[in-house]
Amino acid sequence: MNHPKLTRSARALALSLATSGWLLCGLAPAQAQPANAPIRIGIITDEVGPAKAYAEPVTLGAQFAAKEINAAGGVLGRQIELQIEDDQGKPDVSATMARKLVDANAVIILSLSLSTATQQAQTVTLETKTPHYTPSNSGDTLTTQLNNPWFFQSGPLGSTQVATLLSYARAMKLKRVALITETSALGQLTNRFFKEGLIRNGIEVVAEEVVPGGASTAEPQMQKIRAAKPDAIFLAGVVTPENVLMLRAYRQLGLKMPILASYNLSVPVYMNVAKGLLDGLAYVDAFDPAKPELQKFIAAWRKDHAEDPNGLHGYGYDGVYLVADALRRAGAVDKEKLRAAMQSTRGFNGVMGAKGSSYTFPEGKRTGFDESGMVVRIYEGDRQGKVVHVGTN
Amino acid sequence: MRTLLLVTLSVLVLSAIGFALGPYQTDVYRKLLLWVALALSYNFLFGVAGQVAFSHFTFYGIGAYAMPILLFQAGLPLPVAVVVALVVVILVALAVAIPATRLDGFYLALATLALAQLFIVVLNEGGEVTGGTGGLTNYRLPDIAGVALSGPRYTVVIVLVVVFTWFALQRVDRSFFGRACRAVRDNPQAAAAVGIDIARTKVMAYVLTSALAAVAGMVYAFVDNTVNPPIFGLENTFLLLFMVIIGGSGSLPGAVIGAVLLYLLPFVLAPLIGHHHALVFGLVMVAAVLLQPRGLIGVIESLTARWKRR
Repeated sequence: MNHPKLTRSARALALSLATSGWLLCGLAPAQAQPANAPIRIGIITDEVGPAKAYAEPVTLGAQFAAKEINAAGGVLGRQIELQIEDDQGKPDVSATMARKLVDANAVIILSLSLSTATQQAQTVTLETKTPHYTPSNSGDTLTTQLNNPWFFQSGPLGSTQVATLLSYARAMKLKRVALITETSALGQLTNRFFKEGLIRNGIEVVAEEVVPGGASTAEPQMQKIRAAKPDAIFLAGVVTPENVLMLRAYRQLGLKMPILASYNLSVPVYMNVAKGLLDGLAYVDAFDPAKPELQKFIAAWRKDHAEDPNGLHGYGYDGVYLVADALRRAGAVDKEKLRAAMQSTRGFNGVMGAKGSSYTFPEGKRTGFDESGMVVRIYEGDRQGKVVHVGTN
Repeated sequence: MRTLLLVTLSVLVLSAIGFALGPYQTDVYRKLLLWVALALSYNFLFGVAGQVAFSHFTFYGIGAYAMPILLFQAGLPLPVAVVVALVVVILVALAVAIPATRLDGFYLALATLALAQLFIVVLNEGGEVTGGTGGLTNYRLPDIAGVALSGPRYTVVIVLVVVFTWFALQRVDRSFFGRACRAVRDNPQAAAAVGIDIARTKVMAYVLTSALAAVAGMVYAFVDNTVNPPIFGLENTFLLLFMVIIGGSGSLPGAVIGAVLLYLLPFVLAPLIGHHHALVFGLVMVAAVLLQPRGLIGVIESLTARWKRR
């Protein structure tokens, strides 16, 4: 009686196995590299997911740096080659891509996607003892949650952003402020850092509002903030559509207290999507137009591209140059030597950070951005304007 | 006897694949198998029981988070942690399912969507227990009887979960309960008229499939030895729904084909066409729904029937 059913099951299983087998065969196996082959640097980026808007320009900056380095003769007598993999903004896929890059003999992996994706990819780099580095992620816990001596971070930490903005707030003698954010993980985290920093500095938080993801207005939240009469508003959101809603509600309600915004407002997309809403807004940035290294980078970029670069391009650019510097100091394409060279990076002058700041990985720490290297800038009309504050003092 | 033989053969073949692959392919294979397990159980809930629920990935997440929390924060031994996690999942599923039996279609979808969003908020706000936005990491599966279940041996564990899910659901589907689920899905009034307890049938289907999703989640917790909120976000919930619809709603092999195709599509296509794989995903989705309401398994069955008639 069971015979026909079992035969159908067997056929179904065989069909399923054949499908998965066929598709798994399509995944490229690891390939050995000849000794004089280009030095392979792996990049995990997000081409279709939630971090695409940020990861894409960082990746472009990395590609531009690789092009410059190769045009100048490469590193250790060899060209460098970027193998770019898309993690779709998914942490589990990020770990999978890290394995792919390890299999492909990448000497180091640069993570340019979400912080949580970078965190999950670390489980692979720790296990396989592969140097791993993020030049753009800002999550404070990336180097502390997992004791991974192979991982380095040179993006400005969330705590550095907060400290810089708070230092500016102290100069403004703020006493009572409101906090507003949205529901993304990083938006919540940034809000928490803002709140802890404000309380630590004796500044009272008189209102705390959250705009839900996918909302069509932020007016109810801004009305509550208006009722609390704060001296200023700290905007901790990191998701562009919700941040634009907050700015629109702020203008529509005719609020006048200053807005001090997270680093996210340094992303140039706001100059297009928030036209007429930005004038006077203060935001923390790592892009200091007065820095000579940055001016040189902008000039080189202009020769190759129709549009000017921004900070996101700068992170990818600095990332690849910092790795190239470490490779030269390592003297060989060797993972352990490269890890040691990354750890001993001192005073590397990149294009990002305030004038005079540089990247250093002090012994025992794997975060390399100068804690006094951020600036506060003001939007002038719809354009990112002058620097009004530098560092945390 | 034949079933036992088939189970053994499936475990052996699927495990052998795991031993033959390199580290990258193994990683893809393991995560694919877990998607298959999820698609199988969601196929029963959505395709067989007819419940449009978006909470399936939430139970996967509860199972995944339960492991590091119960093992390393509560200090429970592995077998006790598994049992406690299952009890928690069943209680949560009952708490959702019992009031949800009053809801149908769109309203059930909304209620379970709210649960899925609430779960993410709880994970983000869970402090040291859930690790907040960064999740939990820096743990590993304890040795079992002195044996470290890592590498290909852990792939065997995942294979066992998938094969168990397949055969358990196949058996349930062919039982009175399975037929009752289909009857409730197709015509609740007629089902009630022949003596089927509609509420109990719905609750049992929801709890059973949620528990199976949680078991897959428990296994997932040790694939990368890390869990964090984005993995259990709504995006994956919808991907799971698409897998079942594209493969063929209500069909076990359909669920497998849908999961295999949609999970592997980006990995296979990205090296060829870059980020345009997202466009192909959309086209596959539209084509599968338009051309054949029964999904790819329907297309395959039609072609097979036509070939046999010749």
